[in-house]
Amino acid sequence: MTFSLKRVVAIFEKDIKDLSKNMFVLTSMLMPLPLAILFGSVSKEPSIQMHYLVINMAFALVAAFVQCALIAEEKEKNTLRGLMLSPASTFEILSGKSLLSIVLTVITIVISALLTGYHPANFFIVALAIFISIFFYIALGTLLGLLTKSIMEASVITLPVMLLFGLGSFLQALTAEYPQLSFVEYLPNIQLELLATEVQNGVGITDVWSQLAVIAVWVVSACILVVVTYKKRAIDE
Amino acid sequence: MPLLEIKDLEKQSEDAILFPAFSLEVAVGQSVAICSSTNVRSVMLNMLMGKSAISSGEISVNQEKLSLYKAAYHSQIGISFLDDGMYERLSVYDHFKFYKRIYDSNHCIDDLMHFVQLESKRHKTVKTLSYSEKRRIQMARLIFQNPLVFVFEEPDQNVDIETKRIFLKLVRDLQKGSKGVLILTGNMESAITLADQVYRLDENGLHAIEVKAEEIGQEAESFYEKQLPDQEQIQPIKFGKIPTKVNEKMVLFDPLEIDYIESLAGQSNIHIGGEPFQGLFTLTELEARLQPYGFFRCHRSYIVNLQKVREVITWTRNSYSLVLEDKAKSEIPLSKTKMAELKDMLGLK
Repeated sequence: MTFSLKRVVAIFEKDIKDLSKNMFVLTSMLMPLPLAILFGSVSKEPSIQMHYLVINMAFALVAAFVQCALIAEEKEKNTLRGLMLSPASTFEILSGKSLLSIVLTVITIVISALLTGYHPANFFIVALAIFISIFFYIALGTLLGLLTKSIMEASVITLPVMLLFGLGSFLQALTAEYPQLSFVEYLPNIQLELLATEVQNGVGITDVWSQLAVIAVWVVSACILVVVTYKKRAIDE
Repeated sequence: MPLLEIKDLEKQSEDAILFPAFSLEVAVGQSVAICSSTNVRSVMLNMLMGKSAISSGEISVNQEKLSLYKAAYHSQIGISFLDDGMYERLSVYDHFKFYKRIYDSNHCIDDLMHFVQLESKRHKTVKTLSYSEKRRIQMARLIFQNPLVFVFEEPDQNVDIETKRIFLKLVRDLQKGSKGVLILTGNMESAITLADQVYRLDENGLHAIEVKAEEIGQEAESFYEKQLPDQEQIQPIKFGKIPTKVNEKMVLFDPLEIDYIESLAGQSNIHIGGEPFQGLFTLTELEARLQPYGFFRCHRSYIVNLQKVREVITWTRNSYSLVLEDKAKSEIPLSKTKMAELKDMLGLK
């Protein structure tokens, strides 16, 4: 079966219309923006941590949560089965669904960066890192969406994810006291923050490749998990 | 060449046999109904969908075997489920547009909207539609998909008359368009109204229920009809109560209480006040006994109390239903040949 952009766009457009009328998801999606306004107005020169608190929040709330809610709703309303039996392939369905969350995440991050006044020293590297990270959160959202059965369940299951990835930088502070927690350093959000700090200190892409690689490993493993779960759920759901 | 071919399909769940091996073919332009219990139906659907593994037997659509090449199989078969979901916040038009694009169809949205009579609801969201209207959107989805074989699960359950009429027209159109139609239902009446060929599937296997044979069978029956009234005249006191069996007891009913009698797997089921009772006589015997009370054999497998008939619905030129005035507003099929007889009785030409 050949990849059809038409079907992907059809799913994408349907989701835009559907989401624009879904108040529950819409309101939680706008959450990072007031936070960005708050941080932007409180201090003249917010630290990197503050910028990334907002950005990570956008990742967790927009990319992961919206994606998770979109998939969970398709399952709850019995519409995913119709899609699975349609000529649209697994890849077309998932990319159609992800496209919307990606666009929304990019828009939210750009707006919040403008509001907090974040100006990365090297725009290209930071944009690349953020873009790769988005894929991780989308895959994570898809995975959680496939595991849940309804929107309500989805919003509960994304809570720990939001805490872990949205507020991960606070966990880092605990690692000094509890060395067994040192694995949090390898979480994609912390890696992203490290990368941003380095970039702000004026290093080039050759010095941050290790952080990019760690994030990429997260992306790849999350994608593999999604594909495995989708295949499994498609049969026994 | 059959469009849908089911070969030696069987299902056992744990120790019980759900249905033994059976074979069924749906040819070009044919509509077939399988009347079964709810579990048999859901098992059949899961098998047709390829969700539950088939332990023995084979399903193929247009020679594409389900077990071999799933994608080709699925592109040729379209299934309308009873619990199909829709995007509740989207309008009818959005749905039509989405289906048209996802199935890469060249059907015209406006034509189809006219066909399922949803033009006036065009920009209404699905959430505000009635159940029948939602079922019509699902019909439209299958038309957009345009497969070779159309499978419908309980197409006329709980729907209004308009939806049923549209569905019947759809089935006739599909038959003319050389498609195959398979209807899975638990309701014998709708199976007989909707399909040319009706089967009953249960733990005893697949049994054809003769729908077309009624014209031939009629002559043999009319022979009995002539003889029996003579016997009635011999009896000096006419005792008209109809015996039924409830567990071990025998219950006698006054003929006028009876709504209608249905023949089910060789037995007569007498429906009184919405409840079926097992009769002790065959349909032909009952018909002879009940004729003086204004009962009418409206179908090979049905006798109806004419006093209780409220409406006669004409679905197409050849298919009719009687609607009773009992609580459930039961619908009973009326066959083409019997329609003429009924008109005679009513004094119509």
